[in-house]
Amino acid sequence: MTGAELVLKVLQQHGIKHIFGYPGGAIMPIYDALYDSDVQHFLCRHEQGAAFSAIGYARSTGTVGVCMATSGPGATNLVTGLADAMMDSVPVVAITGQVFSSLIGTDAFQEMDVLGMSLSITKHSFLVQSLDELADVLHQAFELAQSGRPGPVLVDIPKDIQIGSVDFEPYPIAQREFPTPSQDDIAQARDMIGAAQKPLFYVGGGVGAADAINEMQDLLEYTQIPAISTLKALGTVPTEYPYNLGFVGMHGNQAANLAVQECDLLICTGARFDDRVTGKLDTFAPHAKVIHLDIDPAEISKLRKADVSILANFKKLLPELKVAPHTPEWLARASGLIAEYAWRYDYPGEQIYAPRLLNQLSKTLPHDHVVSCDVGQHQMWVAQHMLFTSPRNHLSSGGAGTMGFGLPVAIGAQVARPDSVSVVVSGDGSFMMNVQELGTIKRFNLPVKIVLLDNQRLGMVKQWQELFFEERYSETNLSDNPDFVTLAKAFDIPALSIDKADQVDNALQTMINSDGPFLLHVQIDDKENVWPLVPPGKANDDMLEGNNT
Amino acid sequence: MTHTINLTAQSRPEVMERVLRVVRHRGFALNSVEMNNCTTSNTLSIKLTVSGERPISNLENQLKKLYDVSQLELCQTQGMNESAVAMNA
Ligand SMILES: Cc1ncc(C[n+]2csc(CCOP(=O)(O)OP(=O)(O)O)c2C)c(N)n1
Repeated sequence: MTGAELVLKVLQQHGIKHIFGYPGGAIMPIYDALYDSDVQHFLCRHEQGAAFSAIGYARSTGTVGVCMATSGPGATNLVTGLADAMMDSVPVVAITGQVFSSLIGTDAFQEMDVLGMSLSITKHSFLVQSLDELADVLHQAFELAQSGRPGPVLVDIPKDIQIGSVDFEPYPIAQREFPTPSQDDIAQARDMIGAAQKPLFYVGGGVGAADAINEMQDLLEYTQIPAISTLKALGTVPTEYPYNLGFVGMHGNQAANLAVQECDLLICTGARFDDRVTGKLDTFAPHAKVIHLDIDPAEISKLRKADVSILANFKKLLPELKVAPHTPEWLARASGLIAEYAWRYDYPGEQIYAPRLLNQLSKTLPHDHVVSCDVGQHQMWVAQHMLFTSPRNHLSSGGAGTMGFGLPVAIGAQVARPDSVSVVVSGDGSFMMNVQELGTIKRFNLPVKIVLLDNQRLGMVKQWQELFFEERYSETNLSDNPDFVTLAKAFDIPALSIDKADQVDNALQTMINSDGPFLLHVQIDDKENVWPLVPPGKANDDMLEGNNT
Repeated sequence: MTHTINLTAQSRPEVMERVLRVVRHRGFALNSVEMNNCTTSNTLSIKLTVSGERPISNLENQLKKLYDVSQLELCQTQGMNESAVAMNA
């Protein structure tokens, strides 16, 4: 068989049924092999769309997502998506075509140093050197993407290797290996948990990445320790858990931010003390000892010194930490904070209040749904006001904060989970960044539901200008947006526009009950801001509050 | 603070780039570098001297994460007390 056919065989060996991509000269042999293959290819309208769809596929299922592009500009268009996957630890394999080996380094047409570009935005990358190593490199790519701390892996394949002939040999898929934690460390962690007066779980995306959501929920149930969640963890701690303090950080819930400042033991579980979580780092959890549980040794004591650290497979480790401390006062305090700082939706006036709409949307959606969002104010409102039953149902660009994420990610999630309702919540700025993917939705008739919160502004930047730049609104006015309903209709996607609170109920029902894709254009007040907010460089108990929290 | 690190890595054409990129990006300056290619074992041995004020353990951990790096040893550290990026106990 040819090298190109081998690529598809290896994909199938790894259980890959769907891939996202865009063809071009240097990857034509692989596209030719695809023509007769059982692997289903989704033609996106931009390689960035393909990379994000692979992310949506991976994040909504916990499996690996695959994207493909040609050399040069095809590969550079993948870069933002791969960087996003790197920052959020998402298992993605990217396959790029490269010019003939003999032309590499000659500035040939569409010849670029893709391996060089990949170094800082992938977990690992390969430029395949010979046909002999092709199969092995591809298998390594799949294993690496998913093992340890997951991440994107790029395989750049020169065209001569794609057209050369090679034998296909079955390859045993290796069992994944995990570090073995020391029993002493586990014993010490158990002692610390047992002795703590004010323990707090700080739950991160690592729990979902380790597929240990059930183990985490069992541990909470057993220990009854209060918990705070990062953006990527939302959905891990059950919404009905009595000590779920919610989202922590810059736009987090006050209850979470105050609890973390008071706790005496912080059990960091697959999180990484990101600056959007900690605020001013040396004021974060000032009274706490830290137990840090992770799979990546480089996260331990990177920003906050750990008193005890354990590197392990969470599925095995978490059940070993079942110690129930006796802390009635702390539990009463947690309950008090939760009650005191519950979100409020009593918004006066006729206009649409986005937080309330999102909360309502959450309650209206059928149980099996997945919400993707873009980046900005609407992203924070989704995190604050929508309710999730799994981190796989809330896809948000955390580490990279990439506008344009939402629409193609919702496409990937819909392909991976055809029976789930895939919803994207976008802003008018972000939506335009990958708007071409409406073409992909239509081409495959994917029933993605789009909620476009239109404030005619780059809202989050405008909010910072208002608060920190003396209301000097430099380049954030989007009042010349296109007519989004007409735009959707140009792609033959039904759409509806609303601007009054009393239209929300019917509009949400119409959208959810529609058979195919649907765009709901929601006009909201450009003055609405996201509250509360920890100003940059401030401590988490120094939150600013607006009128409506 | 100056640190000497010995690394063993699989011989791939871009390994040095990977190592040097991590050193720079994680906040260290390169003082000297020595590399030898052992063709029989298909490995590279690399000796780096780097300087920087951040905790060297952070750089060690990041270098160990490189897929091609098989061994790493911190041989020597010279200079003032380690002053970490904001770290509170
Ligand atoms: C690719 C990219 N460019 C720029 C930014 C900086 N940025 C963060 S939020 C934001 C505004 C987003 O506006 P919109 O999508 O309309 O959402 P809103 O904040 O109004 O809800 C910008 C420009 C970014 N995060 N990503």
